[in-house]
Amino acid sequence: MNRAIPSILLWGLILSLPGLGRSADEKEEYKFDASEIEKKPYHLGGYGEFRPVVNGLDHDAALYKLRFYNRDEGKTTEEYNFKLLIDGSYEKDNARFFLRLSYDLNNTYLGWKDDVTPYEAFLSLKPSHSLTLDGGKKVAKWGKGYAWNPVAFIDRPKDPDEPDLALEGYWVLSADWIRSFSGPLKTLSFTPVFLPVFDGINDDFGKTGQANIAAKLYLLLYDTDIDFIVFTGGSRTTRYGVDFSRNITPNLEIHGEFAYIEDFQKRYMDAGGNILSSTYDTASYLLGLRYLTERETTYILEYYRNGTGYTEDELQNFYQFIDRAYDQYLATGSSAFLGRAQNLSQGNYGRPNPMRDYLYLRVSQKEPFDILYFTPALTTIINLDDPSFSIAPEVVYTGITNLELRFKATFLVGGEGTEFGEKPNDYRLEFRARYYF
Amino acid sequence: MAGDYRRRFTFNFLLKLINPALWAGNQWLGFQRGAASLWSRAGLMPRPRMRACKVAEGHLAASLLIVLVFAAPAFALDGTQLLKQIDRNLNPESFEMYRKLINVEPDGRKKEFVLFSVKKGLDKIAALFLEPASERGRSTLRVGENMWLYIPNVGKPIRITSLQSVIGGVFNNSDILQLDYAAEYDVVNVDETGNEYFLQLKAKSKTVAYDQLKMWADKNKKLPTKIECRTEADMLIKTLYFKQVKDFGGGTVRPSYLETDSPLYKDYKSVMIFAKIQKKDFKDEVFTLTFMPNIDSLRK
Repeated sequence: MNRAIPSILLWGLILSLPGLGRSADEKEEYKFDASEIEKKPYHLGGYGEFRPVVNGLDHDAALYKLRFYNRDEGKTTEEYNFKLLIDGSYEKDNARFFLRLSYDLNNTYLGWKDDVTPYEAFLSLKPSHSLTLDGGKKVAKWGKGYAWNPVAFIDRPKDPDEPDLALEGYWVLSADWIRSFSGPLKTLSFTPVFLPVFDGINDDFGKTGQANIAAKLYLLLYDTDIDFIVFTGGSRTTRYGVDFSRNITPNLEIHGEFAYIEDFQKRYMDAGGNILSSTYDTASYLLGLRYLTERETTYILEYYRNGTGYTEDELQNFYQFIDRAYDQYLATGSSAFLGRAQNLSQGNYGRPNPMRDYLYLRVSQKEPFDILYFTPALTTIINLDDPSFSIAPEVVYTGITNLELRFKATFLVGGEGTEFGEKPNDYRLEFRARYYF
Repeated sequence: MAGDYRRRFTFNFLLKLINPALWAGNQWLGFQRGAASLWSRAGLMPRPRMRACKVAEGHLAASLLIVLVFAAPAFALDGTQLLKQIDRNLNPESFEMYRKLINVEPDGRKKEFVLFSVKKGLDKIAALFLEPASERGRSTLRVGENMWLYIPNVGKPIRITSLQSVIGGVFNNSDILQLDYAAEYDVVNVDETGNEYFLQLKAKSKTVAYDQLKMWADKNKKLPTKIECRTEADMLIKTLYFKQVKDFGGGTVRPSYLETDSPLYKDYKSVMIFAKIQKKDFKDEVFTLTFMPNIDSLRK
């Protein structure tokens, strides 16, 4: 009996060795080093992207004729797009300098082209947790809408096909002042912005030689995000906005924006091809929801009323003018009228969604069939006035650390004289590989 | 503490007095499991022979009145106090910490995330992703049941729900932005088995990610060892295993390793490793949408 005890202990020790080894391995496998959380005063990151694209051309479309009137590119065009987006920052005490630089290199039917753009470059001072002062080029990104933001008065318009893309900011001086409370009003913050427009500084914002001021008052009131926004100055007309966002249930969020624009000046084309201008007060608004089902399907639905947009007649006049200008080019070789149309297309007629009533729906399914990091989605943008639409299925895979792979196809559907029917392409196939560093 | 003992002693004394009457009353009213648990914890679970007790009507009414006056508050005190104690043992009320989340796929492939988190009081918590590069700068904020996600490229916070997962895998937003359990759950039942407490928790509102929790806690350390997250229909969503108790300093001794599996993600598991949990007080303004892009400035 006495001899049995050491024997049992010995066997116990031997048998436990693999277990001990496994335990040690386990700890080794899931280690968490202090170096991983050490804060450095500087930071450098970003991503590199390769995005080849195939466009299926629609030779009968007005915007095809406008773009390709003097060249034959066949049935498709290819693009090879490279992008390097660099985020850098340096922090010392309560000051931080942030830089976001974009380098784009594109090979299209027009050949190679490259461009360097500082999206953001600003100095941020933080005297206290309640106050931040920023100066430099900065993106505001105001509004609660996903695809459109009618109250984003000091932002460049985003592309509803790619609402998540980083945008270029404007040179501003701004501040954020925050107060928290207990009770129904939990947070109040005030953001004044000074936006000067001179030659060489923000000169694509509006009329130059002008100073502009915008401000946003944010409240978290009764669990609802609410913003009151105002913009005034000489570069654009005065405008007022309000937006909100709230969770009605844990899986249903609703949001909305309303913008009132004074003295909006619209340049448009009449049936005779004359360019006219009218000035009026108008309102744009958006209502939307985000809904998550138990099966983790996310629906984003938005209705957008664009008070600054064109009527169906105004857009059709423009397309008919292009058709006539193209016929004249074929008959006489003169591209004068096409040139005039091109000038217009670089203004409001060339906006991603230039008309008045739109519906946006995006349905995405997180990790179907238990495929981790795999997200298919379907997005449609419907012009309710035509009606024409785009529909875009896509799949995204993020299973490899820091690598995001996306394949997206976009089909444009619409008859003659409609927004999507007159775009230069019928479809667009796009692959995007983005590596973050 | 002395007050707690005094109240408990008084309550036990009253229970002994009214025990037979209460049993009859219980049967009559079809008393729920909360009361049964109460008896169990008080060591006074009536034996079958007591069924024969005859109780005068007035005595029964008086007994019930006493029970109604004393039982509910005392039960709430015990279960809730225990849960609050577990909460405080897990974290100080206001603190900062670092976490590493590891999603492990069936073939052994891993995806790792590193987060910096700050919490204040019962209802405010924020987390900032430090790694991997694809997530760097993302931050999530929770104030009560309001949750937001800030993505640097998108540039503005959007509202999210507790059931969504910003990182994929078994952990969802609610796990990443976990508030105190006592802030989100009521204790329905507490049992003692061997060296463990077994707590059944019910969500205080529909906005909480999991409708029910079953929590096993070490009786001596008053720390959870396992938590099952279940739906209202008692379907198991995931199980959390708390391991490797570690001294983080400042009086915080808690599991440093949290493992999760889920029948919804067969053969996948997720691990959360905790580091540098430090008691720290923050201004309320830190937990606001406007501050979200600046959470990194809190790191020293």
